[in-house]
Amino acid sequence: MSCGLRDVLELETLDTPAVLVASDAFVQAADDQSRKLGQPAIRRTFVAHPVQDRTDEELRATARAVVDDVVARLVA
Amino acid sequence: MSEGLVVLDPTAERDEATGRPLAEPLGADTGARIALLDIRKPRGDVFLDEIERLLRERGHEVERTAKPTFTKPAPADLRREIAQRCDAVIEALAD
Amino acid sequence: MQVIALVKHDCETCATLAPALEKAAAAGAPVRIVSQSPEAETRAFAERVGLATVPELDDDLALSERLDPEAVPAVVLLDGDTERDRVEGLHRARLEALFEAAGATLPRDGLPEIKPGCASITQEPEVAARIAARRARAEGRIRARELDLGALEDPFEALHDRGLTDGLPVVPPTPERVVAMLEHTARDSQDVVGVVPPYGGEATVEKVAINAVMAGCAGPELPIVLAAVQAACREEFALHGLIATTHPAGPVVVVSGPYAQEAGMNSGGNALGQGTRANSTIGRALQLVARNIGGGRPGVEDRATHGSPGKVGAAFAERLDDSPFDGLAQDRGVPADETGVTVIAAEAPRLLLDQLAREPEGLCASLATALESIAHPKQRLAWDGMVVLGPEHGRIFREAGWDRARVRDELFARTTSPAREIMRGAGGSPEGVEARFVTDPDMPVAKFAAPDRILVAYAGGDAGLFSMVYGTWAAGEIGSAPQSVSVEPWR
Repeated sequence: MSCGLRDVLELETLDTPAVLVASDAFVQAADDQSRKLGQPAIRRTFVAHPVQDRTDEELRATARAVVDDVVARLVA
Repeated sequence: MSEGLVVLDPTAERDEATGRPLAEPLGADTGARIALLDIRKPRGDVFLDEIERLLRERGHEVERTAKPTFTKPAPADLRREIAQRCDAVIEALAD
Repeated sequence: MQVIALVKHDCETCATLAPALEKAAAAGAPVRIVSQSPEAETRAFAERVGLATVPELDDDLALSERLDPEAVPAVVLLDGDTERDRVEGLHRARLEALFEAAGATLPRDGLPEIKPGCASITQEPEVAARIAARRARAEGRIRARELDLGALEDPFEALHDRGLTDGLPVVPPTPERVVAMLEHTARDSQDVVGVVPPYGGEATVEKVAINAVMAGCAGPELPIVLAAVQAACREEFALHGLIATTHPAGPVVVVSGPYAQEAGMNSGGNALGQGTRANSTIGRALQLVARNIGGGRPGVEDRATHGSPGKVGAAFAERLDDSPFDGLAQDRGVPADETGVTVIAAEAPRLLLDQLAREPEGLCASLATALESIAHPKQRLAWDGMVVLGPEHGRIFREAGWDRARVRDELFARTTSPAREIMRGAGGSPEGVEARFVTDPDMPVAKFAAPDRILVAYAGGDAGLFSMVYGTWAAGEIGSAPQSVSVEPWR
């Protein structure tokens, strides 16, 4: 997850809004890391943990549930 | 972990101090070219396939790309290419 | 009455005294043993020395700051908030008297008559600086917002990424560094030095000090930087236009007077070049003030086509010990016994070489060629100029007894050309004065609006038959007028 935060922040430096999607096991870690990286508002959104044991259909449902939030973070 | 350094703001403090700058956000109503950056953990592709389908439905162009490994940040070249070709990026799925 | 004893874990005298203090406390004496050291070290100290209780911790060194001891153990007798007595170090007889005044007894057992103490932790430079910064904030001398540079950010990259630099790394302006910088002026930190265009940010003494730290100033340069900011923010200097123009000019700071040397400036060899901290950082501080407080950034508000190297910062001192003249600032109104800055909106300087002139007229004829070509030889009246005479050239004027006014008059006359030579089309160049303004082709047309629009300064190394010539941005009413200001009010 922390590599992802760095990626997203570097893309922002290249003038490209970027959002990380991570499992909600990482909410607190993402807050801490973003602050330590110097930008508390790194765009990020979370899906229910765990991910690995979900069926394909469950993962698609997760995607449908989160897509509007993901796009909203790129627009705001 | 060491604490960060505290410095005094040298500006006239007219804006909110938000740290390292973020890019300009996308315009709300326009279709954008969005890169889906797969971090290459298992099952992420299924998630991103559906995201791709949904974004296309909403009128956006979608480009699929992937990091060589999820264990390191993306190579600088890859980031630059994506930034040049696309308007925004969704990186997934970190678990 | 209360007795507070400040101790440090690595002080042997504290180790000697502490058991006696604890024993006194056990017998009912109103004693608090308070440690300046962190928790782990204090515990280890208590164990080593055989104390029954671990001493209190001086959280954040607030008590040490208040009592401000030079040495520990520092035993202080307090009556409410009033200090009645104190003993720093171990002086048994005085300690016994102090305890008696507190209505208690200090056990004598095994205590030596005298044992010197150790420096209080508040005397350590880093700790003292931190405490000074905290006090400055509490007393309102520091009011700037704090920026948290994240723990995973390199501070130099962080400041660059936030757009706070001129492209070169800056010294991170920690509260400690800014408080130390503010020691170099007697002025109130919240005095407003100037209002900086284009967005009208207020340059307080504090904000200028922050940018001076970033520029790399050591401290003594601060009064000069403050005077330069004051001068540059004057309406007549037209800083807003200077920032926004496509012209390459930027502010150039000339310092005249004895304080320049005190502040570490160079007026001799390579004074316009690199290598002298004060020269480089004074000019840079002014530019950082313009950028960070005024908000003018290259490519956005600053539209310079090429810009020039001096826009990173340009400042030098005048050489006054063997000058043919008084200082430039003094010529322009700063009292003779004060140090002054002159800020001028100028481009990069050019060389004027003359290795053969022995007489002042001949040297002026050479200097005039460089002055007349400022911007374009056929462009007239819209520009001022500054000559920085090298010492080998200056000697010619000094030996001939020419003062500055005489030099200026000569340069003014010699930069005059007949109209036919400076008309559009003359010499094959479309530039120049429009024909409809020329009634008589032999009419002399001055380059400059008046002799005193040619500034003459004096600096440089002992050897070299060279002078340097600066052209300015748009001058006079339509543009910028050089401003001279005394440094004294800022010291």
